[in-house]
Order: sequence, then structure tokens, then C-alpha cells
Amino acid sequence: MTSSLFKIAGGTVYDPTNGVDGQVRDLWIADGRIVAAPTDPTVRPERTLDASGMVVMPGGIDMHCHIAGPKVNVARKMRPEEKRVAEKVMRTATTHSGTMGSVPSTFATGYKYAGMGYTTAFDAAIPPLAARHVHEEFDDTPCIDKGFYVLVGNNHYIMRAIQEQEPERLKAFLGWLLSAAKGYAPKIVNPGGVEVWKQHQGGNVHSLDSVVEHFDVTPRQIIRGIALAAEELKLPHRMHIHANNLGLPGNWTTTLETMKALEGHGGHLTHIQFHSYGGGDGDEDTFNSKARELAEYVNSHPNITIDVGQVMFGKTTSMTGDGPLGYYLSNVYKSKWFSSDTEMEAGCGIAPIEYKNKSLIHSLQWAIGLEWYLMVEDPWRVVMSTDHPNGGSFMAYPQIVRLLMDRTWRNDVLKTVNPLVLERSSLGDLDREYTLNEICIITRAGPAKILGLKHKGHLGVGADADITIYTPHDNKEVMFELPRYVIKAGQMIVELGEIRDPVRGKTLHVSPDYDHGVEADIADWFEKYYSIRFRNYPVTEDYMHEHETIACEE
Amino acid sequence: MLRLVYQGQTSVPVEVEGFVPQTIRAMSLAEIERFEVFHGNKKRPLADFFAVSGSAADERIEFEGQLAGVHWIGAGMSSGSIHVSGDAGRHLGSEMSGGEIHVAGTAGDWVGGEMKGGLIHVRGRAGHLIGSAYRGSRHGMTGGTILIGGEVGNEIGHTMRRGLLVVGGGCGDFVGLNMIAGTILVFGECGIRPAPGMRRGTIGLFGSPAPKLLPTFRAGSCDKPLVLQLLFRELRRLDFHFDDALVNANYRMYHGDMVTLGRGELLVPEGVVSG
Repeated sequence: MTSSLFKIAGGTVYDPTNGVDGQVRDLWIADGRIVAAPTDPTVRPERTLDASGMVVMPGGIDMHCHIAGPKVNVARKMRPEEKRVAEKVMRTATTHSGTMGSVPSTFATGYKYAGMGYTTAFDAAIPPLAARHVHEEFDDTPCIDKGFYVLVGNNHYIMRAIQEQEPERLKAFLGWLLSAAKGYAPKIVNPGGVEVWKQHQGGNVHSLDSVVEHFDVTPRQIIRGIALAAEELKLPHRMHIHANNLGLPGNWTTTLETMKALEGHGGHLTHIQFHSYGGGDGDEDTFNSKARELAEYVNSHPNITIDVGQVMFGKTTSMTGDGPLGYYLSNVYKSKWFSSDTEMEAGCGIAPIEYKNKSLIHSLQWAIGLEWYLMVEDPWRVVMSTDHPNGGSFMAYPQIVRLLMDRTWRNDVLKTVNPLVLERSSLGDLDREYTLNEICIITRAGPAKILGLKHKGHLGVGADADITIYTPHDNKEVMFELPRYVIKAGQMIVELGEIRDPVRGKTLHVSPDYDHGVEADIADWFEKYYSIRFRNYPVTEDYMHEHETIACEE
Repeated sequence: MLRLVYQGQTSVPVEVEGFVPQTIRAMSLAEIERFEVFHGNKKRPLADFFAVSGSAADERIEFEGQLAGVHWIGAGMSSGSIHVSGDAGRHLGSEMSGGEIHVAGTAGDWVGGEMKGGLIHVRGRAGHLIGSAYRGSRHGMTGGTILIGGEVGNEIGHTMRRGLLVVGGGCGDFVGLNMIAGTILVFGECGIRPAPGMRRGTIGLFGSPAPKLLPTFRAGSCDKPLVLQLLFRELRRLDFHFDDALVNANYRMYHGDMVTLGRGELLVPEGVVSG
């Protein structure tokens, strides 16, 4: 036992879960996990890393990004002009080559996350029919642990169960679907709206009480039904919600109604920035921030958590399970457009986009994102995200850290964006500066807690030894973009941005208990409507690469 | 002169990217032997594959042996000369900006991909996408001269912007695809759909049977264009051989591609064209 001990000595440790706020501590690691310091003073570690003067945090967790599956692959292929001029990731003796741009290739994604100190990431929108593809791509995404959310908000079986008022069948189906896909959590994208888009040219729902034809259900019923089922299945991450009317002026009322529709059940509203707009009728003159009004509701309702979906200026690629949104964006930008219809399950839209700092709309989006970080009082309920690549690349996280920790720089950047932002948002009035401890919460400890990952996001005994060690720097962007060391499951994988040992990482998924009696009905439905046979649909454990089942429990 | 005799016995690609006269001219023989090349995904010293002798000080490199599995020869070179006595692999002279490359045998795909300047002369045949744009690029070759003695594959001169690309044998499909400008001459039979999306530039299709042109090209005048006389003279100076009868032939000019800008010129010897 002693021979495998690894000690990180004398680092300034930030571990908010365990109440450690910048105190000098030693960490002991064995078999990939944090262990208690040996009580026997004669015990010596096999290896000691001197971290004195350095900042030690748990590995970063990106709880909302798009890094695998058919939509990501399409985005990679549809933009060769971006790939051609992007940074090249050259192969080395231990790493594969890859491409960057707004949608990096699989191996490059793993290397870049790890190089930036992130050790876990969740893809936020996978049609379960594509689960097998995602597991294969995950196996080619090294250095990080991964999981994905399963698109359910426009699933025909679920809408039918709601229509027929059969909550038990809905619950059993959701349990079966998550188990079959080896997914992590249910994801609702524009509930009902994607189905209307698939039924009618230019179709969508416009409020929580719009009726989805044929199924005769409303977005409100879909949200409530799935929230209740997720709670009864005791899913570690109850429900990940991409609300209706994303990106549209005046959508904040829909967002507020969505929060209310949860009726106290746990729910995570994702990329909230895109859902916090005042104004109406697509008129730029009325577009404004409603972050304050929504943040006040979040502050007073502890059942709700959010991630931001920060917009960063520059070119990127929008990819979304929100089919009508993809169409909307391609019309705005007159760009390439990809749209897909995944059988009984979901839709998808992809389009190249660009955020310009002289544009009032884009500048407000940038400001609203920052308002959310600064207005949510409890850092445990707000998570850093760019909705990679929709708001910008995950590579922008260090820049966001600086914007949050350095008010002077934030105000300097504010002077470079469209000046009307000062009138249409409160960003100029916000003086709050994040501390390192709070940054640690919104990038690690918080997402781990929201995801129900008890062995991640902290450095207590029993936690995965996923650790990032930074060299302190006055410029926090510099500090966070190039960690001194990154350790994954106790192995040194990165030193100063160079990949040393590209471990594979594992896939995290759930396997909830459900009533298996539902499978006969699902099988009948499959044989009627799906393009593949029921027996070929589930991803079985023997098909999986390295993986871990996360328990469903209170 | 630096002499490299290929001794590699491997089916795994050997990549010599960066091994160009301007980079190695100041290196000692020992340093050159240690120059890192890729063997598949492994870095290996150059001496594992080549017997090295001589000096690189005069910026002349001579490769001997069959190097069809050796790729990126002369890629990025800006000066000096490279001579290959046998075959060469893919990406020969890719993105080169100056100097000369001469290959006695054949070459693989992407000869002179996005070439900016200099001369590549392959005596034998070559593969696809000669002088072309890499996927996602806005331009293919933007300068220089590529001479291929034998046949070539598809999509040569893809999005070519400037320069001269000459093929002694036949070519595959889509010659001059999306061509922006520049000159392509093909002396042998041409594959289907020549010059689709051509905006400007000149393509001479001299082979038989006559090329079947796209319906978006319009027939124009028939004469002896002075530009061809000048080009033929230049080819003779470069020791490139072709049928003397072409010098005195009349050429029908076709304008297109009308689906785009339509200012390109296709030149076909009169009496040969059937399309």
C-alpha cells in the first residue's frame, strides 16, 4: 500500500466542499483517490510533488458542453475553412494529432480540456439513438471523464405517456431510456417546440401553454412530467432544461414561467444567458437585459440551479438540439445550415455564427452572461459555461475567470463593447469580484454537487484524485490557462500544458431502478415506428469502454 | 551536394517534413543524421532510413532510391534544389515558395499543394489534386510552375489562383475545379467535367478524344493565341516535351464557367472538340 502513495506537499489548497479556503495542506493519494495522511510517521510516499507556493484545486468540471455525437461531427465537417486556418495539434510520441477551431477533434478536445485543468466534461444533448456513436467518440476523447445528457423533451413516447396521463409509464420509460443509452441525466430542449418544428414549416411553440399538435400536450406538462419522474427515479442530476424561446427578445417571461413550472422540484436551467432577454418583436431598440429579475427569482428558490452560457466575442459554431433555433440562426447569419430529424426523439440545427463586440445584441449577450455570474448570490447554484461552442469555446474559461475576478479589467472591456450596453444592462453597476474560492465553486465544487458526483469536485478522503495545480499570477487569465500540473485519478497527465500521460478517462452514467414491465410496450412501439429493432437499441455494459455507474440515491 | 540513399524497408509512411535546403544548409552531417522524421507516429532520426553523405552547404539535396513511401519531400522549401532519382510520395513540394524539385520517377497525390513559387518537374506520372487547395483553403497554388510528364489523377488545380500547371499525359476528372486564375495545360486525354466552377484563368485541353465540355461553357473565337506560343516556348526551355503539331494548330476558345463568374478560357485544338 505504502509503495503506491503519492503526496502533494505544501500547496495552498482550495476545497470549498470541505471548507478549505486557501490553506496550506498536504494531499495524499493512493489508487487514484485521495486518502487520509498516514498515521505512521515512518511511512514515506513513493513520490512527492512540492506544491509550495502553488494553488491546488480539484480538477475542473464542465457540466454543459457539446463535444461528441453526430451533431459535433457534422459541425467538424461542415467548416473545413475554419479547420484549415486553426491551430494544429501535432502528434507526439504519446498523443494523437488533431484539429482545433470552434469544434475540436476528439483527441484534441481531451488534450485541451486537460491542458486547461479540466478533468470532467458532460455533453449536453445526445439523441439516445446516437448513444453508441457517442460512447465510441468518448473513448477517443482522452484525459477526462465524460458523460452525456439524453434528449427527452420531444420524445414521442414521453409525450404520449403525458397525453394519456400515465406518469408511472413515463417514469419507467425514462429509467429504461437512460439505462439503454448509458446516459447521465434527462435533457429537455425547447420542450414540444422541436416536435412542432418537425410537423410544420417554420413551426415552434411560443409559450409554456402552447399545445403540441397530435400529442395534445404543452411544454409545461412535459417539464412537470419529466421533473416528477426524475425525482422519483432519484437521478443524481434531476433535469437539465434548455427552455423554450431561446435567443428571442422578450423570452425572459417564458424562462420565469419555466422556473415556476418546476413547482419546487429540482431543475437546472442551462445557458440561462440566452433566456434572459427583454424587449420584443425582434426589434433591436427594445432588446435589454432581464438578468436581474430572473436572478432575484433564482436567489429565492433553492430548487433551481443554472449555468450561464457566456458569450465571448469571435467566430464560433452554433449546434443545438433546438431545430427551429438552428434555422433562425442560419437566417440571421445567412450562413451554412444543417438540420436533422432524429426519428421519434429529437431534432438538431447547426450554423456558423459570429459574436461582434460592436453589435448591440452580441454585446448585451456578453454583458447578460456576466450579470448572471455576479447577481446570483450563492455561487453553489451558478456554474461557469460557454455552452461550448455555442457561446464560445471552452478555451475561453480562463478569460471569464479574469472578467469575474478583476473588476478593473471587466470595466475596461466594457468600454470596448457597444455603448448602449450601459443603458440596457446593469453590468456597469456591479462591483462584485469573485474570490479564488468562489471560482473553485463555480468551476468544480458546484457542478459536482449539482451533478450529484460525490467523488468529484473536492479533495476530501475518498474523492477521485483529479487535481489541478496552478502557479499564482496577478493576471488570473494567465494563471488559469496554463496550469503547472494536472493530475487525473492520481496520475500526472499534464505539466505546463504538455500532455505527459494521456489516460483514457471513463464514462459516467446512471442505471436507475425502473419497472421492467414497461419494456414490452416499448418493444411494440419500437417495432412500429423505429428504423432499428428494439433489441439492437440498448448499449450494453459489455459494449462500454471504461465506465462507472453513478448511484441513484438521495 | 548532400546525398541521401534510401534504405528504409517499411510499409509505414516516412515523413520528412521540414527537411529542406534552407533549414539544413548549416547543419553538420551528424546533425543531419539526427534530424527527426516521422515513421508512422514515431519520431526517428533520419539516419534510420537514409545513408547520408556529402554536404548541404550548396543547398542541393539528392535522394536516391524508391521513395514512394516518403512524403512531404521539399514541403515548405524556399531555395536550393532537390533531386529524386526514383519515385516520390505524397505532398511533394507542398506550400513551397522557391527553389526547384526534380523527380525522375513518379509522385503521389498533392504535388505542389498550395505552392507559392519555384519549380516542380516530375518526369513520370503523379496522383490526384496536383497544385490544389487543401480542404478548407481559399486558394490552391498561387505561383510557381508544376510540370508532370505522365498522367495525373482527379481535381488538379483545385481552386488554383496563379501559376502554371502542365501535364504531359492525361488527367482525371474535374480538372481546374473552382479555378480562380492561373494556367493549366493538359496534353493527354481529359476526364469528365473539366473546369466546373471556373471563374478566371486559362485551361488548354489538347488531348484526344476531345473533351466533353459542360453546357455552361460557350464557344468563342478560333485562332492561334499568342499566349500559347509563349507558353510552348517556355516549356521547351524547361525541357518539357510535347507534340510540335500543337504549335501551329488553331484553337477554339470556350468561355465559362457561366455558373460562376464565367471569365475563364478553355482552349481546345480546332477540329478535335466534339462537345
